[in-house]
This record gives sequence, structure tokens and C-alpha cells, in this order.
Amino acid sequence: MKIKFTWKIWILIIVLLFSLLSIFGFPPTFFQQGVLITSVDQNSTAFEQGLRQGQIITAIDGKEISSLEDFTNILQNKFPSQEKIKTTVFTEDVEYILFSNEAPEIIATNIPKTNIKTGLDLSGGARALVKAEDKQLSSSEVSDLVDITSNRLNEFGLSDINVVSVSDLTGNNYMLIEIAGATPDDLEDLISKQGKFDARIGEDIVFSGGDKDVASVCRNDATCAGIETCKQDETTQEYFCTFRFVIYLTEKAAEQHAEITGKLGINETHPEYLEKKLDLYLDDNLVDSLFISKDLKGRVTTQIQIQGSGSDQTYEEALDNTKNEMKKLQTILITGSLPYKLEIVKLDTISPLLGKDFIRTILLAGLAALIAVAIIIFFRYKKFKSSFALLFTCISEIIIILGIASFIEWNLDLPSIAGILATIGTGIDQQIIILDESKQSRDLSIKQRLKRAFAIILGAYFTALVALIPLMWAGAGLLKGFAITTLIGITTGVLITRPAFTDIVKKIEE
Amino acid sequence: MEQEKSKNNFREWYDKNYKKLLIIPLIIIILSLFYMFNFYSQNNDFIYKDLSLTGGTTVTLQIDLDKQKLEQDLSDKLTDLETSEIYDIITREKKATIIKTTAPAQDTKNILENYLGYKLTEENSSVEFTGSSLSESFYKQLILAIIFAFILMAIVVFIIFRTFTPSLAVIISAFADILMTLVFVNLLGMKISSAGIVAFLMLIGYSVDTDILLTTRILKRKESTLDKRMFEAFKTGITMTLTSLFAIAFALFVVRSFSDVLSQIFTILVIGLCFDIFNTWVTNASILKWHVEKKQGVGNEN
Repeated sequence: MKIKFTWKIWILIIVLLFSLLSIFGFPPTFFQQGVLITSVDQNSTAFEQGLRQGQIITAIDGKEISSLEDFTNILQNKFPSQEKIKTTVFTEDVEYILFSNEAPEIIATNIPKTNIKTGLDLSGGARALVKAEDKQLSSSEVSDLVDITSNRLNEFGLSDINVVSVSDLTGNNYMLIEIAGATPDDLEDLISKQGKFDARIGEDIVFSGGDKDVASVCRNDATCAGIETCKQDETTQEYFCTFRFVIYLTEKAAEQHAEITGKLGINETHPEYLEKKLDLYLDDNLVDSLFISKDLKGRVTTQIQIQGSGSDQTYEEALDNTKNEMKKLQTILITGSLPYKLEIVKLDTISPLLGKDFIRTILLAGLAALIAVAIIIFFRYKKFKSSFALLFTCISEIIIILGIASFIEWNLDLPSIAGILATIGTGIDQQIIILDESKQSRDLSIKQRLKRAFAIILGAYFTALVALIPLMWAGAGLLKGFAITTLIGITTGVLITRPAFTDIVKKIEE
Repeated sequence: MEQEKSKNNFREWYDKNYKKLLIIPLIIIILSLFYMFNFYSQNNDFIYKDLSLTGGTTVTLQIDLDKQKLEQDLSDKLTDLETSEIYDIITREKKATIIKTTAPAQDTKNILENYLGYKLTEENSSVEFTGSSLSESFYKQLILAIIFAFILMAIVVFIIFRTFTPSLAVIISAFADILMTLVFVNLLGMKISSAGIVAFLMLIGYSVDTDILLTTRILKRKESTLDKRMFEAFKTGITMTLTSLFAIAFALFVVRSFSDVLSQIFTILVIGLCFDIFNTWVTNASILKWHVEKKQGVGNEN
């Protein structure tokens, strides 16, 4: 039997092929060997040599890498080593040679098998919704906030972040922060602390954080920044570390500093210092007080040393803690203070571990649903061809939704998946209408009969469409995924799959 | 033959009694409204809200914990503590323990860390926190979204059919679906999450589908008799609803032990679709038949 496809069926086939291409990529990624780099520490030799996020490592030292396990095993066996050793990293087209005594600071994952991106609730990560504590922010105020916060998170060294402003049905504006993968412990601090840094002498503010007063901050350079000492407190048994780093003031701030110190006398108990100290305040809490050397009195100096401390139960934890404190303070000094006091109204940190089981469960659920549909359809119509056509159309629809979602890089979260399920349900309903209408009123031509079916379907389409619109904004867009996938689904249904199905039914009827 | 006869008997009975049949949905709707009114005056709300709508913290611990013991030990420290577990559908292996409390995230984390004796990291747990101010506005907006959706749906229905009574019948039937499902869910004592509210929104779409089918077949077709058209519409419509119902019930069976969110959506849809069968083929169909016969004068049709 030779089947002649109509143009509507051809459109379905072409769209289907494009969707598969968009899901699996060209060439399909599941044939690719190696691991995908998700981030490279910007201060590492690996970064200096040119290794970047997005590259694929295929081999190390000539040994082929086919999984993340291979990658970690090879590096764990080699590092840490006593002296600097050579590591050759092969990517798809270039090889990089690194010399180091520590493992390259590269985070990698297995190459994803498809281009389908899953949302935070499935792939893990953190999400925060932030608003000003006692003020309604306008949309331009939120966008300022977004700029400062993205800057702050970038300076802190987080990659793969997404900071946007969102608004809801009643006109509230929020800042939404999404971080894929590993989330820092102190995310809460980073985004909600206003980060108002002031250096004061007595009542006078000498300089504040941000580029108006601070020209640059020394980071990652052992000559001007680092951990000073770590000591154990004999009574509490806690470890206590201090850090210091140098900052460079702008001309204007330096002159201000000179003017204020010029008025100060000499300290009576410590004659090598001035009578007042330089007090460092963070969000109006005193962080540290520094003596000012008497030589600095009235002098225009741009170079200031900042100190601080951290503590914890063990040496390692205290050290980590102090490093983090230093990093936070550096970040705040660079990016300046946020214009508002903030409140985190939603904060989710999702472990990536359950996601895989979750996806498996969803696929199983989808399969179960399809089997249920197949049973009823075969039972009702007892015709293999049309039942099969119905199931085929239904599966094409899922593929097209996933294809479009990967094409527009939509992150599929739980609401999106619920949306896909909703679409399949209505899709099958509409195909049943087409099948039944094609068998009714035999005195009309098949064309007329199917046209009538379409009238009903369009009615159903428009009611579903308008019902979804409010959901795009409700709840700060957290349920947008549902609306988006359903919209994609029902629209493809009406434009592509339903017309094709109609033609298939026509062919079968003829 | 036997089947044919009983079919005819049913038709005769239905022709005679369809108006009386309308009393059943009317009574249920009135009772439901009464129940909801009562429910609202007692709870100051339409539903029992879960943490996603009242605010609070949900911690998912990826270990096998004795949830009874945990509840005993921590219920005085964590306010409104509730625990549940999730299982792998095939191996029945316990995958995680879920802890829900109205306490703030940091406090909950500290209390749990003390209790378990290790640090909670993203390697072993997920923490979700929703502030009460957000969840309050969230809830209001979802209700608003449903109301908007319903109104927009009603407008589209009026545009499609351009006649008052049949359009109203569709809208009443959709409203009855939502109302009855709401009452049923409340009677079950189910705590509704934001996803659950979305399920009500999905219900609008599903319930209107069959109503549109029925109304189009009855109003816009002229061939064969009214009863025949109605019966044909019933055959198509019930296939539609049953496929959705079975598909969702099967899916519910799979996700039941794994995802609260999807389970709730599916449960609400299953309940809603059952009421939809009733409301489409009793409520809507009877109003429509009444309308058509009144317009044509009784007896003309048959």
C-alpha cells in the first residue's frame, strides 16, 4: 500500500524532526565521549591556560575519559602531589598542558544526553525571592537591585546564576535569584544583607563601600591579602583566625581621610598611634577597630589595610569561615551597599540527588497514562489503525512540546510537567472528537464532518487559552511553567497535530 | 435486542423525567454552597491550606528515618510538625523523609542538625522556605487567577454560542464541578498546596471541553433527533472523560508514593472529572434539552 501524505501530515513530520533535533542536538550528544566543564576557577592555572566552561574534556594524560567517574579517579590518583607535575588535558580540538601540585580547579559533569533543561526542583540548586523589607519597590528600583545583586554574586565567584525582576498580578515587584548546582552556605547573607560598609573615625564617615570611595580591592594576591594567624582559645577551645587585605581609596576619599586624621591628636597610652581608631561598620555593626599610625596624620593616603576575623570549633572550619568572611567583605567593598533593606520571602535549596528518581517516576507515570489511554481507545474503537494514529499523534505532541522547550531553553520544572500532562489529556479528548465526528452524519462529506469537529476543538482551545493567561503572572511567575508548556501544547495541537490527525483520519476513512 | 429495549426504556424515562432530574444537582449545589458558607465562617477560608500557602519550611532528608520517633522527639520544638515519606515505586525502597513545619528555615535547620548530629547540606537534603507574607499574596493571586480564568472562560463560551441559556448551562456546569470538588476535597480534610489550586484551574479546561462538545452537537446540528444527537454526544464525551480519568488515575498510582505535588494535582483532577461526568450529562444536558424543547415546542422534535 502506498500512502500519499498531505501537506498537513508533512508539516507534522517536519516539525517532529526539528523537535527531535532540538532535543538531541546535531550530532546527537549521546554519542559524545567525555565530560562537560561546568566551571573553571578564574584564578587557576587551568583558566590561565584557556580551559573554559562549556568545553568537553575527552582525555587526560592520554587516558580516555568516558564518564565523570574516570575524570575524578584520574585526578584523585595524581593529586595532591609534593611537587608541580604535568597534566595534559585533551578537549575536543585542543590540548592543554598544566603544571601544578594541586588538581586543576575544574568542575565537570557527564555530558547531558539531551538538550532538555530541567528546573531547579528537579536538577537541584537554589532559588530566592527577595523584596524590600518595608517598601514597595518600583520596577526600576528592582532592576537597580538586580544589577547590584548580580554584580555582588559574580564578584563572590558564583557562576551559573540568573537574577531577574519579576512582578505579580497585584503589581508587587520582586527580585528572583536562581543558582544552578552548588549553592554557598551563606547565600542568605549574600543576598539579604544590605552590605552597608562604613569606615568611621569617631562620628565622621571616612569612606564607604562601592566604587565611589573604593578604587580597588586586593584579592587573591598573597602579598596584599590573606589569612594572618589562627589561634586556639584556651578557655573556649575555639579556633580564631584573622584576615587582612589592602584596599585602595579614590583620590577624593583619600583626601577626606587626610582631612579627618589631620584634626586628631596622639594616643596617650600608645604614642605611636593617633587618639581615635578607624572603626569599620558593616550594616551598622562594628566589625573591627583599627589603630591609625601617627605617620598617617593628615597625609593623603590611598592605601588602607582592612582586618577582620572568623572562628569555629575546628582549625579547618575556622579557616574556611575566615576565608569566607574575607571574601564577603571584599565583595561588599567592591560592589557597595544595596539601596534597601531586604527580606527573603522564599528560599529553596534543592538537592540534586532526588531529581533523577523523580524524572524516572514521571516517565513511568507518563507511560502508565499512555497505556491507560491505549486500553480505552482500543476498547472503544476496536480499530487498530485509527487508535494507533491517535496514540502516535499524542506522542508526537509530547515530542514537539519538549522540542520547543529545549529550543527556547525553557527549564522544565514540576509545574511545566503538570502542564504537559494537562495538554496530553486535552489533546486526546480533541482527537476523540475528531474520530467520532468523522463517523457521524454519513450524508455529509468527510471534509465537512471534520470541519465540524474543528469548530468544537477551536471552542475548547480558546476557553483553555484564556483560562491560562492569568497564571502567567500569578504568584510572581512561579507557576509560569505550567502556563507556558500548556500554551505550547494546545497551540501546537490546534495548528499542527490536530490538522495532521484529521488528514490521517481522512485517509483511513477513504 | 435486550440491550436495545433497555436503551429505549431509559430514553422514555429520561424524556419524562429529565426536568425532575435537575433537582438532584440543584440540591447538591445548594448543600455544597451551604457547606462552603459554613466552612468559610469556621475557617475563615475556602480550603485547608498547606505550607506552600501559609508559609513555613519543608525539609527533605535523603535518609531512612523513623518518622514516628522524629515526630515525638521534635514536635515540641518545631511548630505544626508533620512528616511524610517517599518511596521508590518499584523497589519500595524508602528514598526520603519529608518534614514540614511552620518554623522559619534557619531554626528548623539548626534543630534538625542538632537532632541528627550532622550538617544539612545539599548533598543530603533540600530545604524549601516560604515566608508567610509571600504565601499570603500567593494564595490571593491564585484565587484571583482562578476567578479571572473563570470569567474569561465564560466570555469565550458566550461568544461561541451567542445564546444565553445554553452558555449559562455550560458555565453553571463548570461552576458546579469546581464547587463539588472543593467540597469533596474539604470533606477529605486535604490540605491544598499551590499546585492543588492549579489543578482547579486545569479542571475548568477539562470540564468545559465536554460541555462545549455537547452544546455544539445539540445547538448547531440539525440532522437526526435531539435525543439521538444527545446520545451520540454522550458517547463521545464519556470516552473523552473516561480516557482522561483513567490516564490520570494510572499516573496517580505511579507518583503517589513519590511526589506530593503531582499526587495532589492528580487526585483533585480525578475527583473533578467524576463530578464532571455528572454535571455534563445531568446538569448541563437537562438544562439544554429543556431549552431546546421549550424553543421548539414540546413534541415537535420526536
